[in-house]
Amino acid sequence: MDLSKLKGRASYPFETIGVAIAFSPRLEALLGEAKRLADECGANLLLFHIGDRTRTKESRLDDLFRKTGINEQTTRVIWQEGEPVATLLQLCKLNIVDLLILGAMQRENVLQYYLGSLARRISRKAKCSVLLLTAPDAKGTRFKKIVVNGAENPKTVHTIQTAIYFAEKVKGRDITVATEIHQPGLAMTMAGDSTVTETTKIKKEMKEEEMNKSHSIVESCIVDSRIEITEKLITGKPGFAIRQFAETKKADLLVINSPDVKYGIIDRLFTHDMEYILEDLPCNVLIVHSRVNS
Amino acid sequence: MAKLTHSDLIILLLAISTMLILSRIVAELGKRYKLPVVMGELLVGIILGPTILGTLYRPAYDYLFPLTTNDHVSLALDGIFSLSVIMLLFVAGLEVQLPLVLRQGKTAIITGLSSMIIPFATGFAIAWFLPGLFGEQPESVNRLVFALFLGTALSISALPVIARILMDMNLFKTNIGMVIIASAMFNDLVGWLIFSVILSMSGTAQEGHLSIWATIFWILGFGVFMLLIGRRIINRILPWVQTKLSWPGGVLALCLGTCLLCAAFTESIRIHAILGAFIAGIAFGDSVHLREQAREIIHQFVTNFFAPLFFVSIGLKVNFVENFDVVIVSIVMVLAFVGKVVGASAGAYWGGMSRNNALAVGFGLNARGAMEIILGTLALQAGLITQPVFVALVIMALVTSLTSGPLMRRFVEL
Repeated sequence: MDLSKLKGRASYPFETIGVAIAFSPRLEALLGEAKRLADECGANLLLFHIGDRTRTKESRLDDLFRKTGINEQTTRVIWQEGEPVATLLQLCKLNIVDLLILGAMQRENVLQYYLGSLARRISRKAKCSVLLLTAPDAKGTRFKKIVVNGAENPKTVHTIQTAIYFAEKVKGRDITVATEIHQPGLAMTMAGDSTVTETTKIKKEMKEEEMNKSHSIVESCIVDSRIEITEKLITGKPGFAIRQFAETKKADLLVINSPDVKYGIIDRLFTHDMEYILEDLPCNVLIVHSRVNS
Repeated sequence: MAKLTHSDLIILLLAISTMLILSRIVAELGKRYKLPVVMGELLVGIILGPTILGTLYRPAYDYLFPLTTNDHVSLALDGIFSLSVIMLLFVAGLEVQLPLVLRQGKTAIITGLSSMIIPFATGFAIAWFLPGLFGEQPESVNRLVFALFLGTALSISALPVIARILMDMNLFKTNIGMVIIASAMFNDLVGWLIFSVILSMSGTAQEGHLSIWATIFWILGFGVFMLLIGRRIINRILPWVQTKLSWPGGVLALCLGTCLLCAAFTESIRIHAILGAFIAGIAFGDSVHLREQAREIIHQFVTNFFAPLFFVSIGLKVNFVENFDVVIVSIVMVLAFVGKVVGASAGAYWGGMSRNNALAVGFGLNARGAMEIILGTLALQAGLITQPVFVALVIMALVTSLTSGPLMRRFVEL
């Protein structure tokens, strides 16, 4: 497999959009979303079905193509059998997919969450950006309010730039870059020998430092965009704080970095970062894989 | 029912107020010279205890701290000191955040492991093969238990001291700072779990101790239950308590009540109460729903009331001059520095840090501070170690805490 085209590939534009399809009741809505996004981004559409190829499935797909307006001539459908996650990830790599669209439950039961559903498992492992749609709509979801995680990470610049690109394409209204501030051990450190003034000063300095860092990242990303971009500092544990913020703000889309390390069951047991978001999706989620470390 | 008499109550209140007021004054003076608070508290204990007051003016010491002459006051003080150590372990647990260790990834995990294994192995080997170096050990303690204890004592780190040093050096939020914090959390967690097993093995801490396998089974079982199921229950209850009940009364009652309940449980199954408190602390501290303000209130309460009482009490019980043995102090000091600095630095280096930053991590994690002193005190109470070894551990804890910052500064590069 030649992966040279994949290495260092920019996280946007989305030239190839892949959709993982299962023949569930939500398929029509998912195809509608994919069609609209592919049109808006000017991308090629690829449909992946991991499972057997039957006449019934083919005829249902033809029917849905007609209903959603997907062009059969320009849209490829790849049928392949195998272990769903590994096969899907392999297909994405082979076809240099820039964005993979998946339908996902907002929240799964405890057992399903720990064992890992298809959508969640792909989100943790994918080597391309992943869009998790919690309530796909055949007419297409409007991504008006977008929240982006401004975490201090080399990937964040790419994530914000991708969010701006995406917002431009889907006619988003505003983007809020939310930076989480969390300092473990701070309460303990200040408890013994700090005056009120010292504590307030240290907290203020920490906030200012974070705000400055976040501001410089955002500044470096904005290039003549019509999208209104605001910055916000939020306190709380990484992942959980931004999930709550996206919920409170009633965001249509939350954009985050892809994980830096491979997540396993231990990360679900002792939840942190992206796992807080996958545990209970606050809205649609776009996980940007910037391929910085690829 | 035994009761405190009128005069007993006066003595008890005088003793507590003297400890609190003097330790605060000395801590504030020490702060001017950037000395850790625990040092001031220990110093007050040494001044008020048999080392200075007991030697210079015995009647005053006997009146204020009648630990051997008045059973009622002695029992009441012992209850307060026990409660203090339980609370100290609860707040120590409150800051152990396992997700942070996972989040920091490979470097933190390798550093955490290496900074435990190498000092543990060093301490264990020396105590096992050369026990005579540490003087005559109590008959009740077998060589294995002593060796295990020394290994654990050398592998633990002091999160509060380390966090303070990092803050003063403006390294708190840097990669190196987070690796140190995450590794210290890992050291604390594993160290206290091992120490609970050792305490149970000693058999002098409680009547009718458990077998080693039963102890490990209960410790792991309790830990897994609290961290997986207990944590989920806490996550459900906390938001309700924090919004529907009085603030901060509701959350304080829930946290401290659960802490004491868990401590009572582990004590009842013949594992020390500290383990229950520590695990309860981790379960609460990890909750995303515990407000920062609630965390601060608990820390303030414990650090400024229970911690001085506990650390002052150490000096009241031990004569630091009589039990100072330069050979034991030197051996403990060398073992502490070599084991921890080599272990932690090697781990950080293997984890991908530069040589200088790895050394900075090594010296950062070398600070033992209050955690070491608590560990030593419990071991002394359980009859695991002699007073000269305890004094050596206290001195080592202070020296490593004082030298950690300056030595880190020499190597750190950003």
